[in-house]
Amino acid sequence: MSNKEKLYKTEDWLAVWIGFAVIAVGCLAVLTGWFDFSAVKFSTWTLGENLTEAQAAKVTALGAQLGSWVFWRKTLVTLLVLGVLFACGVKLQGESLKKYIPAFLCLFAVAFTVRLISAEFTLNRYLEWAFWALLVGLLISNTVGVPAWLKPAIRTEFYIKTGLVIMGFSVLFSNIAKFGLYGLGIAWIVTPLVIIFMYWLGTRVFKMDNKPLVITLASATSVCGTSAAIATGAAAGAKKNDLSIAVSISIIFTILMMVFEPMIIRACGMNQMMGGALIGGTVDSTGAVVVAGTALGPEAQQVAVLVKSIQNILIGFIAFFVALFFATKVNRTGSSKVGASEIWVRFPKFIIGFFAASLVASFLIQPVFGGDSVKAINGVLDQYKNWAFVLAFTSIGLDTNFREIGRQMQGGKVLWLYIIGQTFNILLTLFAVWLLLSGVVFPIPVLQ
Amino acid sequence: MKNWKKVVTWVVAVAVVAAAVYVMALRLGLADGLDFGAGAYYWADIPEAEKIFRDGVYSPSLPYWVYVVLFLAWGWLMYRLWGWVEKKSK
Repeated sequence: MSNKEKLYKTEDWLAVWIGFAVIAVGCLAVLTGWFDFSAVKFSTWTLGENLTEAQAAKVTALGAQLGSWVFWRKTLVTLLVLGVLFACGVKLQGESLKKYIPAFLCLFAVAFTVRLISAEFTLNRYLEWAFWALLVGLLISNTVGVPAWLKPAIRTEFYIKTGLVIMGFSVLFSNIAKFGLYGLGIAWIVTPLVIIFMYWLGTRVFKMDNKPLVITLASATSVCGTSAAIATGAAAGAKKNDLSIAVSISIIFTILMMVFEPMIIRACGMNQMMGGALIGGTVDSTGAVVVAGTALGPEAQQVAVLVKSIQNILIGFIAFFVALFFATKVNRTGSSKVGASEIWVRFPKFIIGFFAASLVASFLIQPVFGGDSVKAINGVLDQYKNWAFVLAFTSIGLDTNFREIGRQMQGGKVLWLYIIGQTFNILLTLFAVWLLLSGVVFPIPVLQ
Repeated sequence: MKNWKKVVTWVVAVAVVAAAVYVMALRLGLADGLDFGAGAYYWADIPEAEKIFRDGVYSPSLPYWVYVVLFLAWGWLMYRLWGWVEKKSK
C-alpha cells in the first residue's frame, strides 16, 4: 500500500477523517443555525425509586420520551450519520458492505438498549454507559452467543479511534492557566509521577508482562478514569480486555471515592480549598469530582473543578507520549535506535487527529467565535463521541468471555496495582495540596 | 501466588463491589441540584457544564505562555525519567 493509499484505506486515518467530518458538520450546524445536528440522548428516567422533589424534577417519563417525534427523528439522524460514515470507512478498508450494514444495524440496536438502561436515574448517576455497554455485550456473548453475521460490525478500535478524534475538540488548552501555578502544580506535577510509579510497580515489582494494561490502568488512575483509559489504551495498543478491566476497576472505585473521600476530608478538618483540590486531583471521573466537591461546599466544588479541568487537558498529551514511548522503547526489536520514519510508521495516526481537533477548538474556533460557541458545538459533538464509545464498549463485551477476563486479572495483580497506585496518588496529591494551598509555603489563592 | 494472598485479594475484591452496590442501593453521595453522578466521565458529559466550568474564577498572575513552557518542560523531564525507568528494567 502506498503512502497516499494509507491516507484513505487504513483504519487510523479513516477514523481521523470520519471524526473531522462529524466535527465540521457539528460546527456548521451550530455556528450557522441552519439545521439541527444533535444526536439522540435519553433523558433521565426512573424505575420508581423514591426521589426527592429536586431529583424528581430532573426525570422525564420513559413513555413520554419514546412517544416524542423529536426523539425518533434524532435517533434516525444518529443512525444515519454514524451508519453512513462507518460504512464508508469499512468499504474503503476493503470489507463487504452487504455484511457490515445488517450487522451495524443490530449493533446500533444493542447500543440503543445500553443507552436506555444507562439513563435510568440510579444507574445513570453511578455507572452510565461504559459499564452497561460492557455488561450487556458480555451477557449476550456468554449466554446466547454472538451470531457470525453480527461479527463484521464488531470493530472496537475503529469506533474508539473515531470517538477520540471527536473528543479532541472538547480539550481546550486555555484551561491550563485557569488556576494559575496552583492548578498546574497539583494536576501536572503529580500525574506523570503517579503514571511512572505505577508503570514501575506493575512491570518491575509485580512483573506484569502486559505493559499496555499497566499503562492503561495507570492513566485511568492518575488522569481521569474512563476517558484517559480509552485514549491511552488505544495509544499503547491495549487489547480489548485490558481496556474493559481498567475501566471497570476505575468505575467501581470512583463510586466509593465520590462518597467516602469528602467524608474523610471533612472528618480530618481540612479546609474547603485543600479538600476540593485533593478531590480534583484524585477522584477519577469528572462527574464524581463535581459531586464530591459539592458535598464539601461551594469553594471546594470550584477548586475541584479547576484542578480536574487541567487534568482533562492531559489526556491528549499523555496519549501522545504513551504512543511515542511504546513505538520507540517498548515495541522496538533489537538494540538500535528507532528512526524517525519508523516512528512515523508505528505511531497511531488518530492521536494526530485528536490533537488537530483540540488545536482547532482552542486556537481557531474559540478565539474567532467565542467560548459559548465552542460549548454549544461540544454539546452536539459530545453525544456522537458517546455513541462511538458505546458502540466500542458494546463490541468489547460482545467479543469477550468471562474466562478471558479472569485470566487478565493475573491473580489479582491488576487490583493491587490500582489500589497501591491510587494510594500513592492520594498521598502525593495531598503533599502537593499542602505545599501549595495550606499557606505555609505559598500565599493562599483568592477565588472570585 | 500463595493461598493467603489469593484469599486476601478475593476478600478485598468482594468488599469493594459490595460497598459500591451498598452505595448505589442507598443512593449515597448524590447532590440534589446536579443531574449527573460518577457516570459523567468527562466534563462534556455534564449537563450545563458551562455553569460549573465558568471562566474568571481565578485570575492567573503570569502570562499564558509561561504555563505552556512549564507544562512542556515538566512533561519532557518526566518522559526522560520514564525512559530511564524502562531502560533499567530491561
